[in-house]
Amino acid sequence: MRVLIANRGEIAVRIARTCRRLGVPTVAIFTDTDADAPHVRACDEAGRVSSYLDIDEVVQQARRFGCSAVHPGYGFLSERAPFAAALEAAGLKLVGPSAAVMEQMGRKDAAREIAVAAGVPVVPTGDDAPFPVLVKAAAGGGGKGMRVVRSADEMDEAVAAARREALSAFGDDTMLVEKYVERGRHIEVQVLADAHGNVVHLFERDCSTQRRHQKVLEEAPAPTITAEVRELVTSSAVALAAHVGYENAGTVEFLLDSDTGEAYFLEMNTRLQVEHPVTEAVVLVDGESLDLVELQLRVAAGEPLPFGQSDVTVSGHAIEARVYAEDSFGGFLPQAGTASIVRWPSGPGVRVDHALESGQVVSTSYDPMLGKVIAHGPDRESARDALVAALEETAVLGLTTNTGFLRTLVESEAFRDASIDTAWLDRVDIGTDVPAPRADVPRAMAAWVSAMITAFDAGHPFQADGFRLGGPPAPTLVELDRDVSVDRHAGTVDGVPFVVLSAADHVVDAVVDGQRERAVVNVQPDVVDVSYRGQRFVLTPPDRLADAVAAGDGVLVAPMPGTVLDVRVAEGQQVAEGDVLGMMEAMKMELTLKAPFAGTVTAVGAAAGQQVALGARLFVVEPEEAP
Amino acid sequence: MPADLKDLVADLRERLAAARLGGSEAARTKHTDRGKLLVRDRVDALLDPGSPFLELSPLAATGMYGDAVPSAGVVTGIGRVSGRECVIVANDATVKGGTYYPMTVKKHLRAQTVASDNHLPCLYLVDSGGAFLPMQDEVFPDREHFGRIFFNQANLSARGIPQVASVMGSCTAGGAYVPAMSDETVIVRNQGTIFLGGPPLVKAATGEVVSAEDLGGGDVHARTSGVVDHLADDDRHALAIVRSIVDTFERPVTRSIAVHDVEEPAEDPATLYDVVPADTRTPYDVREVIRRIVDGSRFHEFKKLYAETLVTGFARIWGMPVGIVANNGILFGESALKGAHFIELCNQRGIPLVFLQNITGFMVGREYENKGIARDGAKLVTAVACSVVPKFTVVIGGSFGAGNYGMCGRAYDPRFLWMWPNARISVMGGEQAASVLATVAGRPDDEDLKAPIREQYETQGSPYYSTARLWDDGVIDPADTRRVLGMGLAAAANAPIPEPSYGIFRM
Repeated sequence: MRVLIANRGEIAVRIARTCRRLGVPTVAIFTDTDADAPHVRACDEAGRVSSYLDIDEVVQQARRFGCSAVHPGYGFLSERAPFAAALEAAGLKLVGPSAAVMEQMGRKDAAREIAVAAGVPVVPTGDDAPFPVLVKAAAGGGGKGMRVVRSADEMDEAVAAARREALSAFGDDTMLVEKYVERGRHIEVQVLADAHGNVVHLFERDCSTQRRHQKVLEEAPAPTITAEVRELVTSSAVALAAHVGYENAGTVEFLLDSDTGEAYFLEMNTRLQVEHPVTEAVVLVDGESLDLVELQLRVAAGEPLPFGQSDVTVSGHAIEARVYAEDSFGGFLPQAGTASIVRWPSGPGVRVDHALESGQVVSTSYDPMLGKVIAHGPDRESARDALVAALEETAVLGLTTNTGFLRTLVESEAFRDASIDTAWLDRVDIGTDVPAPRADVPRAMAAWVSAMITAFDAGHPFQADGFRLGGPPAPTLVELDRDVSVDRHAGTVDGVPFVVLSAADHVVDAVVDGQRERAVVNVQPDVVDVSYRGQRFVLTPPDRLADAVAAGDGVLVAPMPGTVLDVRVAEGQQVAEGDVLGMMEAMKMELTLKAPFAGTVTAVGAAAGQQVALGARLFVVEPEEAP
Repeated sequence: MPADLKDLVADLRERLAAARLGGSEAARTKHTDRGKLLVRDRVDALLDPGSPFLELSPLAATGMYGDAVPSAGVVTGIGRVSGRECVIVANDATVKGGTYYPMTVKKHLRAQTVASDNHLPCLYLVDSGGAFLPMQDEVFPDREHFGRIFFNQANLSARGIPQVASVMGSCTAGGAYVPAMSDETVIVRNQGTIFLGGPPLVKAATGEVVSAEDLGGGDVHARTSGVVDHLADDDRHALAIVRSIVDTFERPVTRSIAVHDVEEPAEDPATLYDVVPADTRTPYDVREVIRRIVDGSRFHEFKKLYAETLVTGFARIWGMPVGIVANNGILFGESALKGAHFIELCNQRGIPLVFLQNITGFMVGREYENKGIARDGAKLVTAVACSVVPKFTVVIGGSFGAGNYGMCGRAYDPRFLWMWPNARISVMGGEQAASVLATVAGRPDDEDLKAPIREQYETQGSPYYSTARLWDDGVIDPADTRRVLGMGLAAAANAPIPEPSYGIFRM
C-alpha cells in the first residue's frame, strides 16, 4: 500500500506518522504556499497541486506516484462524494466510506430519513417542532446557513438569510427546520466498520464547548450522560452505521437536551474527526490503546476489524483543546503572521498533534487550527489539571493564538462543572466570564529579559551595568507599552520583588512578588513578544518620534494663501482624530485640513469660497482632555 | 585616631545620596507635579538603557552658599547616548530655580572643558532661571564667568563637537543663549520657555503684557521664531528627540587609545580598604594599590631599582594601556628624573598617563637644594606640563606643595582628577604652615597663633573642601578607581593625541 494524504497541517502529519510506523510509504500534496510545510516534510514524497480542493489534480498526483489509497483527513475533500467517486473511478481506494454512503450521509435531510429508518431518535422537525426552531441548510455544516428563530414572524427573514448563505457556501439552498435545543450538549459516538459487516463503537465524546458551532474543547468520555443515554447513543450509532453499510471510521453526532436528557441524532461525519485523539487516549482494546488511522488503513485494505465490541473498554479521561490562530480576547479575529517561536508541551499524559514549528508562516488561506493539545488522566480532574499545565507550557510567539483563552477556559469553574453547553461561549461575555490573563507578570518578565539583554553589553568601561559613583547602580529603564524600571541590583521590577530562577532559550522562570511564574520571552528591537499562561502579549514602546507634535496645538492655519473649497464642520461639533474639517485649494493643490486629535471644534474661521491669507486661522479644535 | 577608610567611604556615600536628592522635598514635589522629571531622572532617561554615568563633581558647592545648592544646582557627567559617549549638562530647577551660582558656572565650564579635551558631544538639558542675581559680580563679568559658556559653545561647535540643547523649563536672559547657540535644539511645549526678557521685564520696559508661553514658549519658537528645531510634548519625548539627534552624528572613525581584552585584577579592588591606611602619614607600598586597579594585577615596572620613592611602569586598565606614575615616599631629585624619563616614554608611545598622587613634597635641606633638586623637579614639571597623552590623576593620599605640580595636579590639565575620601590637599601640611607662619611672625611657640592656622589647613585640606570648589572632578570610592579610570580612558579615546613636544628641560 502507498498512501496519498490529501490534506495538510496537523492531520496530514498525524496520518504520516502512523504510516511511517507501519512502513507504508506516503505522498503529500502541497500548494505553492505550503511547499515547505511540515506535512510535506513528514511524507516520503510530495506532489504539487493548485488547490487542496482540486479533485482532478489530487487524483492525478495519486496515480502519478503510484498510490493505491488516499487518506482524506478531515475537511477539504474528505466528505465530498464526487471526490470519493473520482477515486473509485480511478481504481483508487479512499480511506473512508463509499461515495454512495458519503452522499447519503452528507445530506442532512437524507441522513435524517436513514436515521429514522434505523430507529435512531431524531429532532422534531417541520411543523412538529415548537419554537424556538433552528433553520439550517440541508447541505450545510460549520454553522453556515443556520439561523435560530424564536417566533413565527421572524421566520421568513431568517429563512431567506440562511438560504443566501447556503447558496453561496454549498451551492444548495435546501432548508431544514427543526426543534432548537436551548441548552444542549454535543455528544458524538466514534464508530468503526469494516467491509465484512462488522461495526463497533469506540464510545462517545463530548464536544459541547463550542463557539459559533466550532468545537473548542472535546473530551471523552462524556462527563454528564447517564449509562442509559450512553447505551442509547452508542447502540443508535452502531445501528445507523450498520443500516447504511458504512465502512471505515465515522462519527455519529447527537444533541443532548440538558433540560430533558433526551438525545437526538444530528448528523454523521463520514471521516476521521479532529477530536479523535481523545478517543485514542481513553479507549482500550484488550488493555491496549488504539491507533484509529492504523485501523482505517487496515479496513481500507480489506482486513476485518481485529476486535469485537466486547473487547472495547474505557480507561480514564481525556480532554483536547484546539489551538487556533485567532485573537480570542480581541473578538476572535483571525490572525496571520510568522510564528517566530513555537513551544509545544510534552510530558506524561500529554499529546500534541500539530503542524506548527518556529519560523513558520501562517496565512489566513487555510483553516486557522494550528494544532491540538490533548491531556489524559485517570479521571476528569487530573486530565483537566494536566491540560491546564500543558496549555500553560504552550507558547506561540509572533502570532496570536487562542491558547491563553483555552487555558483560562479549561481552568474555569464552568468547564470544571461541565456546565458549558453548546451555546455558552456565544452567550457569555468573553473577557469577563473568561478573563484574559493580566499583563503585569508578562510585562515584568519582558522588562527583566530586556534589561538582561541590555547588560550583555559588557567588557568595556561604559558597559551597560548602570554604574553610578558611590551609589547603587541605576535601574535600567525599559520602554515597553509603558516604561518599566528594572533594578537588577535590588531585584525588583517597578518596585515589585523579582527573582529569576532560570532564563535560557527564551524561557524565564521567576518568582514575581512571591509567586512562581514562567513565560516565554522574545526580545526584538522595538517589540517584545511574551507568552504567559498561553496568552501572547505584544509589548511595543510608543514611537515617540513618530508621535511628534504633528498634532500641533489644535489651531489649523492656512498653510498657503488660497481658496477655501469646503467647510465640513461647525462650531461646537465633536470631531475624531483625522476627521476632515475642510478643504482648501492653493497653488493648484487641494489641501485637506484634518482634526489633529479628537475634540470639539471651537472656532471656524473660514467659509467655502473664501480667499484666505497664509497663516489664517481656519479651525480651532480643543482636545477632549488635557493632552 | 583617624577614621577607617571604610568609614570614610560610608560618609562619602551618605553625602552623595543627600546631594543626589537635589532641592527640598517641596521643590521636588512642585517640579514633578508639573509633569517634569527630576534632573537625574532626566539624565537616566536620556542615557542608553543601562548606561553608566560618570558624574562630575556631584558634591560641588558642598558647604558653600549655606549648603543650599547641592551639586551646585547642575548635574554634569559623561554617559552613553545612542551608543556614544556624551557630556551631559543638566540644570536642577529644584535647586534655586536652577540659577547659576559661581560654582554652577565653574561646573558648567568644567563640563565643557571635558567635552573639549575629549571631543565629546554636549547635551544641555536646560531648566534654569539664568544667573543668580545677588552674586552677579561673581558669575557675570569675568573671563571664566557666564559668558564663557556661549564662547565655548561657539568654539566647540566650530571644532565639530556637536552642541545640543533641550529646553525643559526656563531659559531666561543669558540662559536663552544656551539653546540659541546650540547646533540643534528641542523644546518642551507648555513647559520650556526661551526669552531674553521675561514677562515682568517686558512689562516694565515697554508696558506690553504677554504670557510666558506667547512670549517664548515651545510653539512660538518651533513654528514662528525658529529659535528651536524640534517641539516635544513632554520631557520623555524631548529626550527621545535628543537621543535621535545624537544618533545622526557620525562616530569618530578611530579611537586614539588601543583596546585589548579586558582582564579583572587578580586582587579584588574592594580589598583596597584593607591595604590603604586612612591616615596619609602611615607609609605603605603603593604597588598594593596598583595591583588592585590594573588588568590581571600585572605591572611592568620601569626602573624598579632606581629612585624607589617614585614607582613607574606600564599596565592596562580595562584593556587600555597606561603608564602609571605613583608616589611611594617623598620626591628626590632622582625620583623627578625617573618620572620625567617615564613620562617622555609614554608620550613617545602614545600611552596615557595615570598619576597616583600621595606626596608630601620634594625633599628639602641643604644637600638637596645644593644638588639642584629644583632643577630636577622642574624637569618633571616640564614633562608633565607638556605631555600630550591623556593624563589622569587620582589623589590617593596627600597632595602637598610642589609635589602636586610634579604629580599632575589640577593646574596641569589632567583630563580628570579624582580624590579619595582620605585625601588631603594644601600647599603644605597644617603643622608646617603653622610653624612657618609662627616663625616668620617671630612667635614660634605661640599656640594661639598656630592653632587657628592648623585649623584652617585642616578644613581647607579636606577633599570635600576641594570638591566643593571644583578643584577636582569628584571624590570617589577607592574601590571605584579602576572603573572611573576606565571610563575616563574610554572617553579620552575619542580625541586624537597630538605629536609630543616639550619646553626646555633645565639640565
